[in-house]
Amino acid sequence: MLGKGLKRKLSDYEENMADLSSAFDSSRNLPYPLKRQLVLNMCLTKLQTYKMLVEPNLHRSVLIANTVRQIQEEMRQESSQQPINVCNGIASHSLSYPGIDSPGISLHLPSGSNQPESNCCSSWSGEGPIENSLLMVSDDDMSSAISSILKDLDFMEDISPPSCLAPAGDEPKLPENACLKPEVRQDLKGAECVFGSFEISNSTSYLKDLAIDDIFEDIDTSMYDSDFCSAPLMASRTPPTATEETLKTFPSCNSSSTTNIQICRPDLSELDHIMEILVGS
Amino acid sequence: VGCPLGEEAVDWCLYQLNGAAQFEVSEADIISTVEFNHTGELLATGDKGGRVVIFQREPESKNEPYSQGEYNVYSTFQSHEPEFDYLKSLEIEEKINKIKWLPQQNAAHSLLSTNDKTIKLWKITERDKRPEGYNLKDEEGKLKDLSTVTSLQVPVLKPMDLMVEVTPRRIFANGHTYHVNSISVNSDCETYMSADDLRINLWHLAITDRSFNIVDIKPANMEDLTEVITASEFHPHHCNLFVYSSSKGSLRLCDMRASALCDKHSKLFEEPEDPSNRSFFSEIISSVSDVKFSHSGRYMLTRDYLTVKVWDLNMETKPIETYQVHDYLRSKLCSLYENDCIFDKFECAWNGSDSVIMTGAYNNFFRMFDRNTKRDVTLEASRESSKPRAILKPRRVCVGGKRRKDDISVDSLDFTKKILHTAWHPTENIIAIAATNNLYIFQDKVNSEMH
Repeated sequence: MLGKGLKRKLSDYEENMADLSSAFDSSRNLPYPLKRQLVLNMCLTKLQTYKMLVEPNLHRSVLIANTVRQIQEEMRQESSQQPINVCNGIASHSLSYPGIDSPGISLHLPSGSNQPESNCCSSWSGEGPIENSLLMVSDDDMSSAISSILKDLDFMEDISPPSCLAPAGDEPKLPENACLKPEVRQDLKGAECVFGSFEISNSTSYLKDLAIDDIFEDIDTSMYDSDFCSAPLMASRTPPTATEETLKTFPSCNSSSTTNIQICRPDLSELDHIMEILVGS
Repeated sequence: VGCPLGEEAVDWCLYQLNGAAQFEVSEADIISTVEFNHTGELLATGDKGGRVVIFQREPESKNEPYSQGEYNVYSTFQSHEPEFDYLKSLEIEEKINKIKWLPQQNAAHSLLSTNDKTIKLWKITERDKRPEGYNLKDEEGKLKDLSTVTSLQVPVLKPMDLMVEVTPRRIFANGHTYHVNSISVNSDCETYMSADDLRINLWHLAITDRSFNIVDIKPANMEDLTEVITASEFHPHHCNLFVYSSSKGSLRLCDMRASALCDKHSKLFEEPEDPSNRSFFSEIISSVSDVKFSHSGRYMLTRDYLTVKVWDLNMETKPIETYQVHDYLRSKLCSLYENDCIFDKFECAWNGSDSVIMTGAYNNFFRMFDRNTKRDVTLEASRESSKPRAILKPRRVCVGGKRRKDDISVDSLDFTKKILHTAWHPTENIIAIAATNNLYIFQDKVNSEMH
């Protein structure tokens, strides 16, 4: 970890990642595939974290997704050149993305290969923390991670109120993304055609991923039962469990607990706010 | 006024410091934008709590030599409040992302302030006189008994204590689905644009229920998204030209005369990647965090994670100048990626004569590059190192090898102390530096002594 850095929750996983990134930066002897795998892990972790946020940062998500794509492409090219590849595509384990607090990171040492790096492989069997954090991830899973997060963003944006746009004039809107170079598009098509089933199963709302009952288990709803309850709708943000530290807020709880909302007497200012939205003033 | 820029080395000294000491910081006080107005008389800051504070420079007076040119608080107001988007179950932050001043057209000042979603036009007026001597009301405003009124008088304007009134004149809402990252007032003084991650809208300052979409890079399929808009600005003189920067490090100059929808750029400014510097993080560090036209309109200044670059509008293939802000971080990119510092968005600024450029860095350092002499300097904005009126000592970061006294090693840098927002007075050597919740105003020593 660099210098004084940012204040962070101390969890084993995070400390591990900090050590790894320091190792990445300081060590010149780290073999390239290992470095690449490390970066890939970090990217996927971040994407997974963002997926759990109510509103992921689009700029960052795109940058990270591009990095993943780049690594993916590189690995794909390598695997197409050499039939047996150590660090790529061996998805013998079911995928487990390291959550922020999940203690178990799947361990998988690359087992023998014809790669020139095989010498390095055996030499780093002694470097405990680095090899223990290798995560075997398949292409499909990477692509699905990217697609699901971008899909999530699209889903969220589509339900927004229509923006007030005047007709944009004579020029028809360009159907293609003008910024994307044609040759890259073709490469990505290969990556994204695996999205098929993943798009459906990786639901566009994180609500479906979590057991709804679990969310409400720890929340004290006694305040909702009383008459005076306008404030708690927003105030009940204390995250009862570790995973919920990553969630910015519990808006889903508010919107799902419709019965609770009906019990509460909404604040006048909130009504005004709603009216403003409806009337569009 | 001031020493000739670029001809002599400028000595900077702390002029004033506003803001609480570090241990009292609340997140809402963190300054999120700084902007001088067109004359430099006013300086506006926005913070994470949605407040705007405007400072006004005291006019010079021979009677009190030390309070000349001091920026005093002129007005404070709550610009944006946190909002809750009920449709998406999202909270919209009240943090002020950008403030832009409108050129002054009458006695009032106007500025635009924006958070992630809504842009507001504020009018700032002064009241230093009030009418006295009404016929029908008395001094407290109560109606007079008409039988006591025996003669008519003309109300007279009498001086009163200065009152600064700020009123919201326009609210430009619902124009953006994504987060607004920049706003820019057109030189025609009638329109302005606002840019979010994927779209740029053109507004008329007087019309709030309608905006024109002039750039849209949202792909039909979001999965195809690989690039977002990071900053945009109108050309200072040509009201039809604007530039926007992208997360891939490119700049697009667009001409609104060419078509209504400016998805096709007129010019694309892009530097091919240096293969020797290639890393996993190359794209991330190439993302442009800020773009500013020079005052002359001939050049553009861009900031990406490690460099600032000067581009000539006539040359699209590469920048004409590249300055390393903190190249020693190049070997730390993985750690900076891990702790998200690699996504920090630093701003950049030109001085009044376009001869010096400035940008912030970590550890409360900020850097200045003189384009003519090619000299650069690293200065620090911190209470410990800035005594009022004392000249700022240049700082140095050592990367191993010989270490001089007072050097800081790369590993000792504090990455939580970042100078993201800086502003330069439009004509004089006065700079405003935002360090977390503190606003530092530095002046050129010669400049301040001449008054």
